[in-house]
Parts: sequence; structure tokens; C-alpha cells
Amino acid sequence: MDRGMVLFVGALLTFTSSWLGLVLFPFWQLQNQPPYRSEPTDDPYPRPLQGLAWVGMKVYQQSGCMYCHSQQIRSDRFGNWWEEPIGMMRTGGDIKRGWGLRRTVPRDYIYDYPTMLGTMRTGPDLSNVGSRYSALWQHIHTYNPRAFNNWSIMPSFAYLYRKEKIVGSRSEKALPLGREWTVHPGYRWRPSEAEWELILREQGTYILTSYLAETPQPDNLNLATLQGKRQLLEYWLATPEEDWQLVPTPQAEALVAYLLTLRKAEYPLPEAKE
Amino acid sequence: MAVNVLTRDDHRLQAARHRASIDLSCRGPVLAFCTTALFWLLVGSALALIASIKLHSPYFLTGSSVLTFGRVRMAHLQAVALGWSSLAAMAACLWLMCRLSRVELTYPRMLYVACALWNIATTLAVGGILLGDGTSVEWLDAPVYAQPFFVAGVGLVAGWVAATFRRRQESHVYVTQWYILAAVFWFPWLYTVATLMIFWTPVTGVVQPVINWWFNHNFLGLWLTPIGVGTAYYLIPKILGRPIHSYYLSITGFWALALFYSWAGMHHLIGGPIPAWLATASTVGSMMMFIPVIAVAINHHMTMIGYFHRLKYSPSLRFTVFGAIAYTAVSFQGSIESLKDFSEVTHFTHYTVGHAHLGAYGFVAMIFFGLYYYMIPRLTGREWASSRLIRLHFWCSAIGITLYFTTLSIAGWWQGRMLNNPNVPFANIIAYIQPYLALRSIAGILMTIGHIAFAILFIVNIAGWGRLRTAGPTLFVEPVQQHTPEVATSVPYLRPQSVHLHQ
Ligand code: HEC
Repeated sequence: MDRGMVLFVGALLTFTSSWLGLVLFPFWQLQNQPPYRSEPTDDPYPRPLQGLAWVGMKVYQQSGCMYCHSQQIRSDRFGNWWEEPIGMMRTGGDIKRGWGLRRTVPRDYIYDYPTMLGTMRTGPDLSNVGSRYSALWQHIHTYNPRAFNNWSIMPSFAYLYRKEKIVGSRSEKALPLGREWTVHPGYRWRPSEAEWELILREQGTYILTSYLAETPQPDNLNLATLQGKRQLLEYWLATPEEDWQLVPTPQAEALVAYLLTLRKAEYPLPEAKE
Repeated sequence: MAVNVLTRDDHRLQAARHRASIDLSCRGPVLAFCTTALFWLLVGSALALIASIKLHSPYFLTGSSVLTFGRVRMAHLQAVALGWSSLAAMAACLWLMCRLSRVELTYPRMLYVACALWNIATTLAVGGILLGDGTSVEWLDAPVYAQPFFVAGVGLVAGWVAATFRRRQESHVYVTQWYILAAVFWFPWLYTVATLMIFWTPVTGVVQPVINWWFNHNFLGLWLTPIGVGTAYYLIPKILGRPIHSYYLSITGFWALALFYSWAGMHHLIGGPIPAWLATASTVGSMMMFIPVIAVAINHHMTMIGYFHRLKYSPSLRFTVFGAIAYTAVSFQGSIESLKDFSEVTHFTHYTVGHAHLGAYGFVAMIFFGLYYYMIPRLTGREWASSRLIRLHFWCSAIGITLYFTTLSIAGWWQGRMLNNPNVPFANIIAYIQPYLALRSIAGILMTIGHIAFAILFIVNIAGWGRLRTAGPTLFVEPVQQHTPEVATSVPYLRPQSVHLHQ
């Protein structure tokens, strides 16, 4: 046989072998898994994403959240660590971290497209994050993760929120965040000493009055001292801006709707038992 | 690649003339691939730096959707893997195939079309991702509308490479040709199958990540690796002027790679919701990879034995040998990484990112740098303008990738240990890895400086501002001996008799 022919046939065969083994066989094994019903009358699990949540999945996909977050809970026998107090090796970090009630199995993903299992855990696993937080928490966290965890290295997605002038009354959807977080969306803001002096000169009495009115047991602030000024600054930073509000864009609403549907690791599937 | 001992001077001259006319026929298309590859290397480096800095300083360039971490990371991968590496790989395929088959390249125009198609695809991929069309299918993040352009581009190149091989004038088939032919055959098929099954007629659920990782691992294993290894197989003996250590070993290595590499990859889903036998099958494949890797290692490194002093002189040799050593290292590491106990720790961590870069940069990119330093002067007839800039490029790249790999390996290992222990709060893990991520950015800055030096050299060369190739290549230092084979084998650039270069 000609050298070219040998090469062609060999390359074809080796490659086909891996295609059969790693692609076609799993495909044949896992394709067409039906959703699960414990009783014929029960609602099937899982269900396809719909409406807003589906749009939110698209936002998740195109923002590349997957490059920091996985969506899979591994078995309670996976991975190990040394438990100092009892002097023993133990296994199964994912469930013990509270990321899910059980491991995830192929059936949890039958309606996922794309299936974003993820390969990196710069942030926590999100398979079951829908059970952990409220919509409001998710909005504030997405807007700026450091509003909750100052150590977070998750990017802020402030561009999914719109800062607008309040016309009439504040919108119900507006994020209840202090001006510390809203003056420069995506960043954390603080006035310099000089700026704060200026603000105090212009609005000092007003800020002090509202401080006294809103704080149940107000300290006796002395605005002549540095400490008093600082204390008032903290209060003021935590209050919302008077004329501005931050509202979620439809994309942010969708993203949060998606995050709330993420409950992949709790429905008791028989095959997920260990 | 045995260098024939020719007794008659005119015989040698004739061979050199023929080589020169082959180089001339490749000049246009191959330079088009090389230039655009370099452009994507720079784009990819910039994106890499942005993503890297964002990971430890989340306030950096925040506020725009275009530059959010996830998108920049996806765009970086497309720019370097499909832009830089693949274009450089195709340049290597075309030129090496012509040289080893001893025939000129025909119908160069179609190759310009191929190059344009591939660049359109990469532009659509990088631009599309940044504007919000990324697919979050790792390595296949390019939007669906970019995919047909990729397939068409590489399809043309594959056809040209195969046609060149068929027209070969040289009866001996060198191992580099095996690698190249196999790669251009595998890759279009691999890419087409993976995109069809993931995007065009999507399979359900977890079968997608299975196919995804089959693709990802084979992108390195059956596309970049064979071309990188094949290029080293050409350059090392060629520059040293001595034959490869063992021809049979090289063929064994080739077939073992073909058989086993394509089975690796599933261990990237270890512990995940896929049948356990898949990961096990891949662990077996990965362990068997020791065979081809050792075969290649013996061949590359044994050929070097006794000639290491040449690394002092020859830039292309230095880059290529660095790449060959990195190949051995990254492959051993990869096999060990596939072991269950090991990947239970390193999975989901930056350790994998370090490993990927040792492969894609330390091995593949370094060998392609070596190829550029060897090939471009032969195509343009101009030498490199400054050995100092080459040295800067080498050291920035070499130190950069070493620092990169070390920091991420350490950070990733401990990140994995801590992730596995639920008593360690998440905040502690972040605090622990953050300084390492900052060091990684420094490594990235070093590598980028190297790339800028490289780009300057390249531009000066193709713009025709460099020295003409009449007195041998630009070396780091001039060899001490008068008649080293280096000087003897590098034939001065010769004009093919009937053709005139516009210079
Ligand atoms: C650079 C990596 C990174 C990216 C990109 C990223 N995150 Fe995060 N994420 C983190 C880190 C780190 C944490 C943990 C600290 C915190 O709560 O902010 C986290 C936490 C979270 C949490 C809380 C999880 C929990 O159990 O407390 C949610 C929800 C979340 N991210 C959603 C998202 C979404 C949605 C996106 C994409 C729009 C995203 N993340 C993109 C790194 C990232």
C-alpha cells in the first residue's frame, strides 16, 4: 500500500475508535432519558426552562458566568480532607458545603442547552443556588458582589442595572442600596475628607436631623469632632441617594429569574441515592 | 531529515536553488498566515492581561459588558487557540509539507482565500463573544455563525496539504509529514462533528459536555500537538545538521499518539454527572500516552545530545528545544493529572489552567516561535534585525511561562485541597489564591513584552528593512569555531534562476 493510504486508513481508524467510544456510545446510553415521575399523576422532574428564566439562562451563557461557577454536585464519596478534631479522612465536600442535598445525575440536565457543568470553581457551585437566596439578594449581589462580601472577586454586573432620575416616587424595583454603592455604579464610593466637609457645610443639618429621626437610639454626635463627622458619614453612606434610583434592566430581571430556578440538587431522584 | 553529503558543489547549489524556489512559491500565502497569526497573538495577549488582572482586582475596567471577565476570557481563548496557534499551525503545515515533499506550492490564491476565511471566522468569534454572542461551551465559545468559516478555511488548507503530498518528488516520507497529514485530516473532522452535535443538531444534557471535552482535548492532542511535534522533528535535526536519533521510534510515537491521545479528555469531567466508565477510559488513554511521549522525548532529546552548546547560538533552536522539553513535561504532567486521586484535588482549580498554558504556550507557541525564526528569513530573504530583541523575546517568554506555570500550579493545588475541605470558608480560599493570581498577571505582562519584541522584529523583517540574507543567519553570538555545521548547512539565500524578487 502507498504510504499515504496507510496513513489515511490508520488515522481514520484510530479517530473513529475514539469517536465511537467517547461520543457515540455515551450518546446512545444517555440520549432520550425521560423526566422522572414518582407517581403517574405527579409533576415531572425536571422541567424545561421557560419565558424569563430561559432569557436569563442566555444572559448567564453570554456573560461567561460558567468560567467561575460550576453546576454539578459531586458524590459524597468524592475528594477527601483530614478532619483534625476526629483525626480521620473524610470525603464529599460539595454536599457538606451546603451546595446541594444530593449529587447531580444526568437526568438533572436533560433540558439544559447548553449544559454548563463548568470546569472552574473560582466561585461556589450554583446547581442549587435557587434555594439559597432571595431575588433581592441576587439583584444586589449581581449589581456589586462586594456589597455583601467585601472579599469577593466576582465582577460587578452593574451594567445590567440602570441609574435613573426619580420621577414621582421611587420605583418598587429600585435596589435598596446606600449611596456608597450607587454613586458610581459598579464601584464603592466614599467622599474625601474635603468633599465630606463641603457636603456637611451644605447639607449637614439636614443629614443630622434625618439621622436623629431614623436611628432608634441615636448617639450624641458632635459634629465638631472628627469622630462625630466620621460616624455621620457612615450613616449617610448607607442611605439611598435622594434623586436617583437603580432599577434592574430586563436582562437583570431575567438573570435573577434564572438563578432562582436553579434547584438541580434537591429533588429526590432514585438514581442519585448513594 | 538526513542532510545529504553531496560531493559535487553544483549539485548542492542546485538543491539550494530548488529549495529557494519552493520557499518563493510559499512566500505569499505562508506570510499571510504568519502575519495574521501574530496579529491574533497580540490581541490574545491583551485580552489575557485584562482577564488576568480582573481576576484579582475586580474593579479593573468594570462597568462595560464588552470587557466583563467571562467574555474576555472566552475571547482570549478564541484569539490564541484559533487565531494565533491555528494560523501558525497552518503556516507550518503548508511550508513544511512543500519543503519535505520537495515541490512548489501551487494555486496560492486559494490559500489567500483560506487565510481570509479563517480570519473572518476568528474576527466573528472574538468580536461576537465580546458583543454578547459567546456560547459558554469551552473552547467552542465562537458564535454559531463563525463556525462555517472555520470549517471552510481549514478545509481548503487540508486539501492543499494533501495535494502537495500527492505531488511529492521525494520518495522518503519523513515523520513530520505523517504528523501534518494526520492533523489536517483530523481537525476538520473533529471540529465539524463537535459543532454539529453540540450546536446544529444538539444532543441532550450531559452528552454535550462529553462531546465538548472530547473536542477540547483532541484540539490539543490531534491538531496542535502533532503539528508542534512535527515542526520540532523538522527543525531540530535541520538546524543541527544531523539526522534524527531513530526513525522507527518516530513512527512508533506517531501511531501511539494517534491511538491513545484521542481517548484522553474525559477526566476533565471527573466526578461529574457522567457515567464513571468514561473518565476511567480516559485515564487509561492518558496513561498509555507515556508511550508516544517517551518515544518523542528520546528522539528529540537524544538528537540534541552533544549539541547543547548550539543553544547558545541559534534562536530558533533555543525556542524549539524549550518547546520540546515543555512537551515532555506537560505530557507527563497530563498523564499524572488524569489519575483519580490527583484530579480529585486539581479539578475545578487554576492548576488546570497552568497545565493548559504549559501545553499551549510552553510547548506549542514556543515551537512556533522557533519555526518563525527559522522560516521567515528563508521566505523574505531578510535576516532578523536584532539579536538583542530576539533574546528579549526568548527570556520574557521563557521566564514568563515558567512563572505562570509555577504560580498557578501552587495556587491551584492548595485551592483544590481547600475546596475539598468544607470546613475552609470560601473567603479564605479567595484570599489565598489572590496573590498568586497577581503574580500570574506579572507573568502575563512578561510574556506580552516578549510578544511585542517579536512583533517588532517581524514587522521590520517583512517590511524589508532587515539585512539581506547573504552572510548567514542572525545568531545570539557568533560561534567560536570557524566551520561549524551551522554555518555550513545554512545556504545563503539564493534567487531562483528565472524568478525575480522585488526588493
Ligand atoms: C471572576 C469569577 C466570577 C464570575 C465571572 C462570576 N462569579 Fe459569581 N461568584 C464568584 C465568587 C468568587 C463568588 C463568592 C463570593 C461572593 O459571594 O461574591 C461568587 C458568588 C456568586 C453567587 C453566590 C453563591 C453563593 O452560594 O453564595 C452567585 C449567585 C453568583 N456568584 C452568580 C454569578 C452570576 C450569575 C454570574 C454571571 C453573570 C457570576 N456569578 C459570574 C466569582 C465569579
